[in-house]
Amino acid sequence: MIGQVLGHCRIVAKIGEGGMGVVYRAYDEVLHRDVAIKVVRKDAGFDASAGQNLLQEARASSSLAHPNICTIYEVGETGGDLYIVMELVEGKSLHAMSAAGGLPPESILRYGVQIASALTRAHDRGIVHRDLKTSNIVVTSDGLVKVLDFGLAKRVGGGILDAPTMTFSTVQGSSSVSGTLPYMAPEILRGDPTDARSDLWALGVVLYELASGGLPFEGRTGFEISSSIMREIPKPLGPPVPPGLWAIIQRCLAKEPMQRYQRASEVQAALEAVQSGAIVTAAPDTDQPAPPRISTMHIVRHAQVKKGDFLLLVGTTKGAFILRSNAQRTRWELGGPYFHGHAVYALAYDARAGRRRIWASTSSYWGTLLRSSDDFGKSWTNPQQAPVRFPADTGVSLKNIWQITLGPQDEPDVLYCGVEPAALFETRDGGETWSLVRGLFDHPHRPRWMPGNGGLALHSIVLDPSNKLRMYIAISSGGVYRTEDGGANWTAQNRGIRAIFMPDKYPEFGQCVHKIALHPARPERLFLQNHWGIYRSDNYAENWTDIANGVPSDFGFPVVMHPRNPDCVYVIPVESDEFRCACDGRLRVYRTRNAGASWDPLMRGLPQKQAYETVVRDAMTVDSYDPAGIYFGTRSGQLFGSRDEGKTWQMIHDGLPSIVCVRSAMINDGSVMPARPSLKEPPATVSRSKSASRQKSRRSSQSSKR
Amino acid sequence: MPVIVHIPGALREFAAGCATVEIAFSNGTVTDVLTLLWTLHPGLRDRLVNEQGQVRQHINIFVGNENIRYTGGLASPVADGTQISIVPAVSGGRG
Repeated sequence: MIGQVLGHCRIVAKIGEGGMGVVYRAYDEVLHRDVAIKVVRKDAGFDASAGQNLLQEARASSSLAHPNICTIYEVGETGGDLYIVMELVEGKSLHAMSAAGGLPPESILRYGVQIASALTRAHDRGIVHRDLKTSNIVVTSDGLVKVLDFGLAKRVGGGILDAPTMTFSTVQGSSSVSGTLPYMAPEILRGDPTDARSDLWALGVVLYELASGGLPFEGRTGFEISSSIMREIPKPLGPPVPPGLWAIIQRCLAKEPMQRYQRASEVQAALEAVQSGAIVTAAPDTDQPAPPRISTMHIVRHAQVKKGDFLLLVGTTKGAFILRSNAQRTRWELGGPYFHGHAVYALAYDARAGRRRIWASTSSYWGTLLRSSDDFGKSWTNPQQAPVRFPADTGVSLKNIWQITLGPQDEPDVLYCGVEPAALFETRDGGETWSLVRGLFDHPHRPRWMPGNGGLALHSIVLDPSNKLRMYIAISSGGVYRTEDGGANWTAQNRGIRAIFMPDKYPEFGQCVHKIALHPARPERLFLQNHWGIYRSDNYAENWTDIANGVPSDFGFPVVMHPRNPDCVYVIPVESDEFRCACDGRLRVYRTRNAGASWDPLMRGLPQKQAYETVVRDAMTVDSYDPAGIYFGTRSGQLFGSRDEGKTWQMIHDGLPSIVCVRSAMINDGSVMPARPSLKEPPATVSRSKSASRQKSRRSSQSSKR
Repeated sequence: MPVIVHIPGALREFAAGCATVEIAFSNGTVTDVLTLLWTLHPGLRDRLVNEQGQVRQHINIFVGNENIRYTGGLASPVADGTQISIVPAVSGGRG
């Protein structure tokens, strides 16, 4: 091709060749400058759409004007071959420079800052490198770093990348993963979605290589390298590598993206801090003379969860537990405690889009965090920055997360959090970023909401399954609010609800609502447990009617719906505001099967003597079996369950810390709580003989772990 | 003489396992030291201060033997060679 003209560039000489194609030196005859041209061979294995993607990416990358990024000038096609005209970079690759051994720390820091600066610019423009490695970072004769091939690795099919690059297909097939194996982040190998943080991992590998002359994760085969990346901790780097630099490399090489630096600018700032000498040493714990300190071994037992299992997720004031059973729900295995000493007020199980994710809020001295586990508690995210946080301009700070609510089934990346001080947060990217719902936060009523005994908490979030724009929230003490436009505007919906502690007993807002519930089959109807009073609305919370007909006390906290019967509701009354314990020391659940016209006590199997128990607002839940299971936990750490819709009860576990949240999860083919609504009475709850039923309940209490 | 920041055990996973971090520093405030600290270890920031930049309610920061709550908060002066300790409050009675 020597002498040939591509666009307005005359090819002068061949300077390199790789799996992707040939690189030539050329001269731009219009702009009078030397350039490099990469010609991607016809047979490089890309189809028309991959070629189109390559063109798009190259165009996007051409906008990256940055001194440390090799600029792309032009892309084009000639005789079916793609070509890319780019800045001619002459120098030595970092791979060649570090091959003889580690570089001096000053050089590593100087180059590292420039690479991080290049990544910062690209990431800010939504471009991820995806194939950062020492062989495509060049240092020019005047010491300037140039990162090559920006954006070219993205969405490129098999065989198109340079020779040392291995390309892997994910199980999805349609998307393919590119990159060079020893630089690939664990999430890429797992086939998880990747983002800019995978580049920060690669930067960690590059820095390690510059410091030691070797790779942090090695092996003789691809399998060994992958295995090392997924599991192993790189060999520590000692002097002359400054501990501050080693700390930065370790943070880049954290296996979970959430535990890495979240932005390239953070890596740049950290490298600059070490470079300036501000941070001189950071001595690892092991190098310290042993100070007198108590070392605590946390023994955590994990429940071995498999398909077809049923879980109870239990949040307590001192940690979370996972109880595993199967569809029989007679024998239980306890997993945990998770988050030693942290209060867990909110839990949720998210099985949308094939996930098996447990969400948990944890609260301690060190703040409140939203965390998740995709392996039933064996590992949890521990984000560096609190994902749910008030913007600085609000002047308030997060105290607790009281509620985690999944968005609609067909919007699997939408979730909501209700928090204290009362506010609603929303994510639309599966929890990566959360934003404050300003429509509610800026409501003119907000300054006049008053904290209840548990703090000023937004504890209930109820979505209308028939209308995505309609949602209800409840605040203690603020009352019920409804939006009809997806959260932009909110109205107080408390007509008919009494506020016993206010001079005006029926104010527009300010009620101390304890919990609200809605059945998907009757979205116009809601049930509400108030600070004194049980209510129902039949018109989307426009008006409320007291339905506490025959309960021993209308004070209580939880209210839950039967999974199928929209007339069936469960509450657990306590004696009074002053004495928040089971009435007369008898622990009784009350059920209505006629939408509140009458209530029946359910107590068989529950303690009926001197049982001064309290069940708080989120400590009760149902499952979706038929007959349905009902579960609740007490302040004294007892967990009870019923497999026959409340007719008989068994103690599932005794001796837990104070229980504040109970949620259920069916581990099946990805769907939880399949809604099978019916408007008629449920079938007779016990089809088996009474003796068989009794036998089962005896077995249950024997087998429950104490 | 560098300032030495002692990291409590519960937070060392956010400080690459370090029990202490030494920061070369002449004169400034606690804020200056902490800013350098979480430049290197960003995960420490949200554990120590809330969204408004205030030290969390149950966290105490000592410059030498003085709790900064009584010496001007985060604006308390720090001289070089000082030891800074991050200590969760001792609380009792709630079980």
